[in-house]
Amino acid sequence: MNRFHLIRRSDVSIWKKLLYYLIGIVFSLLLGGVFLKSLGINPLRYYRDMATIGLIGNYYPAKSVEGLLKLFVPLLITSLALSLSFKMRFWNIGGEGEFITGAIFAAIVAFKLGDSLPGPVVILLMCIAAFISAGVIGFLTAHLRVRFNTNETLVTLMINYIMLYIIKYIGETKADWNFFLRTDSERPMFAKFPDAAIMKGIKIGSFNLLYSVIIALLIAVVVYIYLRSTKHGYEVAVVGDSVNTAKYSGINVYFITVRTVFLSAAMIGLAGAFTAASSGTISTDITNNVGWTGVIVAWLSKLSTPVICIVSLLISVLQYGCQAASASYSQIDHNFADLMQGIFLFAILAADFAVNFKVVRTGSKKDA
Amino acid sequence: MLDVITLFLFNIVIYSIPLLYATCGEIMVEKSGSLNLGVEGTMAIGAVFGFLAGCKADSLLVGVLVSFVVSAVVGSIFSLFTITLQANQNVTGLTITTIGVAVYFFVGNALGANWPYLRDCVRLNKSFSQIELPGLSRIPVIGKAFFSHNILVYAAVVIAILIWVYFEKTSTGLKLRAIGENPGAADSLGIDIVRYKYLHIMFGSGIMGIGGLYMGLNMGGTFEGSNCWINGYGWIAIALVIFANWSTTHAIIGTFVFGFFNTLRVYNMPLATAFPNSLGWLSKIPAQFFSALPFIVTLLVLIISSIRSKKTGGSNSPTAIGVNYYREDR
Repeated sequence: MNRFHLIRRSDVSIWKKLLYYLIGIVFSLLLGGVFLKSLGINPLRYYRDMATIGLIGNYYPAKSVEGLLKLFVPLLITSLALSLSFKMRFWNIGGEGEFITGAIFAAIVAFKLGDSLPGPVVILLMCIAAFISAGVIGFLTAHLRVRFNTNETLVTLMINYIMLYIIKYIGETKADWNFFLRTDSERPMFAKFPDAAIMKGIKIGSFNLLYSVIIALLIAVVVYIYLRSTKHGYEVAVVGDSVNTAKYSGINVYFITVRTVFLSAAMIGLAGAFTAASSGTISTDITNNVGWTGVIVAWLSKLSTPVICIVSLLISVLQYGCQAASASYSQIDHNFADLMQGIFLFAILAADFAVNFKVVRTGSKKDA
Repeated sequence: MLDVITLFLFNIVIYSIPLLYATCGEIMVEKSGSLNLGVEGTMAIGAVFGFLAGCKADSLLVGVLVSFVVSAVVGSIFSLFTITLQANQNVTGLTITTIGVAVYFFVGNALGANWPYLRDCVRLNKSFSQIELPGLSRIPVIGKAFFSHNILVYAAVVIAILIWVYFEKTSTGLKLRAIGENPGAADSLGIDIVRYKYLHIMFGSGIMGIGGLYMGLNMGGTFEGSNCWINGYGWIAIALVIFANWSTTHAIIGTFVFGFFNTLRVYNMPLATAFPNSLGWLSKIPAQFFSALPFIVTLLVLIISSIRSKKTGGSNSPTAIGVNYYREDR
């Protein structure tokens, strides 16, 4: 019946792996080039403009780098966080909802305490509020998953949209209780945070290095060590490998799942707080799709922490670059970045197959 | 006053039909054991290409066929990655959504001023106009609301019923459900799992595409640079599959309920003014609550049904959903 069948393999050398992935990336760029060519755009010029994120011929190159980092920080933290739950085969696709939750709670702290406390304390409290509130969502989904086998993919998906409409409600409703909005504007508009609640940075010339960039990189180091060299990380790996193995070896699967997913969601909430604090306000599209892009980044990176750092930087360059390039090419907008992301992912998934499986001609048994 | 009710019911149908297409398509996909999160993208691609082809040929039939075929091709890509290449279903589905919506914008921006006007397509418009069902459309109040719609509305209901018959009364439908429940057992019975999955995922995706085309036509077919026609309906459809408990006939009722929420969002004011005493409170509920209601209800259904099935084992959810079938793991 089937002429061929698949065999799993793990004998592909690192160089061959890299070659497969490289072929995938080159193929994606060529395919993207075909798309660009069909619009009459010179692909090489577009790719150059994209990769240089509008730095060439720009009077304020520092602004471009700052803009890039504003995309990079939330994406990096979210992807790292998602990799935690994905390692456990817990499909937390609720990044959007957890991000919004974090941002809303950070904003509550900012508006309520921003005028009465010193800056660093306010920002710390904002981060804690975001961390815990988003973490609670993670805790609830994990609890449902382990206790009642509720499908976590669908639960987190629903929460994404519920949170989206909550932030829309806050942002679009003029009322006395609504302290999120500007009082001096007729149209509903999110107010700016008090000065103390806006994240500062280190000035390097005209470049402003936000503290969130440094913290995000520190988080990456911590996650790396956490997953690689701690007992917690080992437990995550065992539960992800096989729930039964974990059970028989005496690991408390409930506790590990709940703890890890709490951390995963809480980190995404933290990313929301950073985004809110560094832009000094919130908005209904504050996530910038980072919950979805994070899934793609985590998967492109094979859940490896160092690779996540590189890939999320590259994806940020892609997104920011396409935004910058859309200024000079009228036929195309920033959505081209999404198209390229998708093509990259498909190419990498195909390369994965070549790395993990071997196609074998089914032996003569069947033919005989 | 009765006009308000008729108009209200009429609009519920209008809002719920694209959901019915998408939900029936996704039920077919999920029954084969795959969770396809790419509904939104599949609909977007089907919508844009179906619309352009339909306008070019000035024919609704061509539009429907093209959106079906193009979306089925998208379904075959999902199948290729998840069935043949054993890639993760969630990630593949999300990527299809990302790419699908991006293609929608890509094509729209590329055409720019050359985007066709729906009003220029006389024959297409004619075939998309309302057909009054003889006799039934004369019934007061509900006649105009339910039996005076365009052809795609009636077709959606027929498709939903046909799929139900297919699942419940035919042996191929039974085999498909077996694959979704226990692919290993189905395989040992000699069912060609790979072919079954490919075909049903492609067919289901094709139906989603028609739903996308319907949305585009319903919105007058104008391309807006900021908003995709599908506007989150694909995600609501994924929620509806759960609400309908994986049954396409329940989906008819389910989409009507969700369409009801959606219509309330727009019609809460007219209703509240028409019936100030009994429905006046409607005007106090924020629109965002009605938008979120499908997701809130589905979340509750998910939680309650999983708690109940823990006790009684009662959900219709295909057991093997979301898990790739790899023969050697059996």
